Amino acid sequence: MDYRVSAQGVLDAIGGKENIVSAAHCATRLRLVIADNGKVNKEKLENVDGVKGVFEASGQLQVIFGTGTVNKVFEQFTELAGIEGGSKEDVKKAAASKQNIFLRLIKTLGDVFVPILPAIVASGLLMGLLEGLTKVIPGMAGSNWYTFFHLMSSAALTFLPILIAVSSARAFGGNMFLGAVVGMIMIHPDLVNAWSGDAVNTAPVLFSIGAYSVRLVGYQGHVIPVILSVWVMCFVEKKLHKVVPEILDLFVVPLASVLAAGAVALLVVGPIFGQLETWVLQGASWLISVPFGIGGFLVGAVYAPTVVAGVHHMYNIIEQGFLSNGGANIWMPIATAANVAQGAAALAVALKSKNKKVKAMAVPAALSAYMGITEPAIFGVNVRYRKPFIAGMIGGAVGGLYAALMQVGASAYGVTGLFGILITVPNSELGLGVWNIVNYIITILIASAAAFIVSFIWYKDEAACEKDKVYSPLRGKAMPLSEVKDETFAGGVLGRGFAVLPEVGKVVAPFNGKVTTLFETKHAIGLTNEAGVEVLIHVGLNTVALEGKYFTALVKEGDTVQKGQALLSFDLKAIAAEGYDVTTPVVVTNADDYAAVDCLSTGKVAFGDAVLAVREKEAEPAEATA
Amino acid sequence: MSFEYVIKDSLGIHARPAGLVVAEAKKYQSAVTVEAKGKKADAKRIFAVMSLGVKCGDTVIVTCEGADAEAAYVGMKAVIESNL
Repeated sequence: MDYRVSAQGVLDAIGGKENIVSAAHCATRLRLVIADNGKVNKEKLENVDGVKGVFEASGQLQVIFGTGTVNKVFEQFTELAGIEGGSKEDVKKAAASKQNIFLRLIKTLGDVFVPILPAIVASGLLMGLLEGLTKVIPGMAGSNWYTFFHLMSSAALTFLPILIAVSSARAFGGNMFLGAVVGMIMIHPDLVNAWSGDAVNTAPVLFSIGAYSVRLVGYQGHVIPVILSVWVMCFVEKKLHKVVPEILDLFVVPLASVLAAGAVALLVVGPIFGQLETWVLQGASWLISVPFGIGGFLVGAVYAPTVVAGVHHMYNIIEQGFLSNGGANIWMPIATAANVAQGAAALAVALKSKNKKVKAMAVPAALSAYMGITEPAIFGVNVRYRKPFIAGMIGGAVGGLYAALMQVGASAYGVTGLFGILITVPNSELGLGVWNIVNYIITILIASAAAFIVSFIWYKDEAACEKDKVYSPLRGKAMPLSEVKDETFAGGVLGRGFAVLPEVGKVVAPFNGKVTTLFETKHAIGLTNEAGVEVLIHVGLNTVALEGKYFTALVKEGDTVQKGQALLSFDLKAIAAEGYDVTTPVVVTNADDYAAVDCLSTGKVAFGDAVLAVREKEAEPAEATA
Repeated sequence: MSFEYVIKDSLGIHARPAGLVVAEAKKYQSAVTVEAKGKKADAKRIFAVMSLGVKCGDTVIVTCEGADAEAAYVGMKAVIESNL
């Protein structure tokens, strides 16, 4: 869908920009305050592309677009209407821009990978199983049934860059079809397949200037270059949409943005990654020869990161090298350690997480890693939560150390994981005895155990900052709002919630969000979270009369805050000594936007305990599965 | 329809009266805005009203627009005069 067209459609249907009092959006909806409801054509509004529903609630006209779409429509909408966003502007973006580059990159990887996981998790599993079976059943690889199953299992992974490109275009707010085209360009059959080993180094040269040479090589199995290229495409596309006259738009914008992305991919990203791969290959070849198991330890550790970076395509050359020199392939067992360790780390996440979506994804992802297909586990689970990925590296290192010390070898290459057992069987030519296969299995067990234990201990469900929850901003005794000795709060005039009799003079952020209101007297603070939940924390009753005395603000209005970040400090004893009731109401001020605000805890509460939950008014339309 | 009012509450529009203003404004379909010091706020949104930072002696302009603007005008006037 074209966000701008949808935004224009909404604007037309509500009677133009003159009819807007204010505009804001939450996670799924555009929330508009309309001056004259008589000018709103609801039917027309419902027919606007992308609109999943329209309803009125608490004086707002709410237009449902869904997650990931609403913010983009809103962006265009505010531009078209010439208004600034209300208080629910995209806090998330602001939060993201404050994080460092590394975390943003990980977040982007997650945003891109999560939607495509259904496509790759099952294929990964089937493909691993199928490739393994071909090693068990002689002649299977040549059969037509093999081809039949191979088609289905390998399609998603063979064409992964296209899926990534589509998902990236969606994440970056560009046209998904153009994104698909960029992905297709990058793995076009006319380019030399990135997996073809040495042939990559003899690929046709487009041109070269000194050390810089552009070769016609594809991006099979790549992730980051695809995301980069699509980002460029979206950037160009969005800029051009603004300046190109509408009549030329369809002609100029797709052409220019795809060309720009293609050029960046082949002329800039390609040579850089080509060079990196060569260095990685040289580094890995040297590293594997470092004695006393140190080489294996290091290779086992860095293997997975090189997969993430997409510079792992050349490892086959190392394996070929060992075999063609008449020795055993000692690379494969170390790669296996790294792969199964990522699988085990993901499995630990599956067992420890309470999030059903995470569990549902991590189990098949872990299994497919054991079959040698690691993308789902690495990108779908481990990298997103960081710690499991590092746990996987640790497991890989430990397993790699053992494999290298025991000089475990394989008689072929191209298969890792459980089915790798088949190529570690005794082989007199290569000098592999019975212990070889036993040690290979021990390698798998050690790598798995180390990664699993570290991941299991280390991984925690992301201090679950759920968008529908409010976490305690104070420490103390919780009480129902009705017990507050102030009729405005007790009567729910300011919103629904609860109150705390604080034990310490500190207020922390109740969620990831933004400081919307900070009183000059610093006795009360209002915050809005990513989904538009508004919370007012009012320290003490009538404390406005203190005019700021005993209060210190640690943030200012407009600041983006993370859950648990200190917001205010106050002198609890002094305030109480002046005769004030320090009971602190914590209320959801826009409670009318929700079906209910539930209190989750009574008695003692600590900072960060989940204390309130809002319930959405009606069932949301099905979102893309995550 | 709109009216002006000079705030008499020595503490300005703080949380409690703001809550009452918002609660009243929400009763009406009409769009109700409070304007002070050149800033305009949706009177149905407590954070918006509080963010105006209205103090004692400040003049606020309350505007009601919509189907039940007259009722809103009367209601808003009453709640503001008796609480602020």
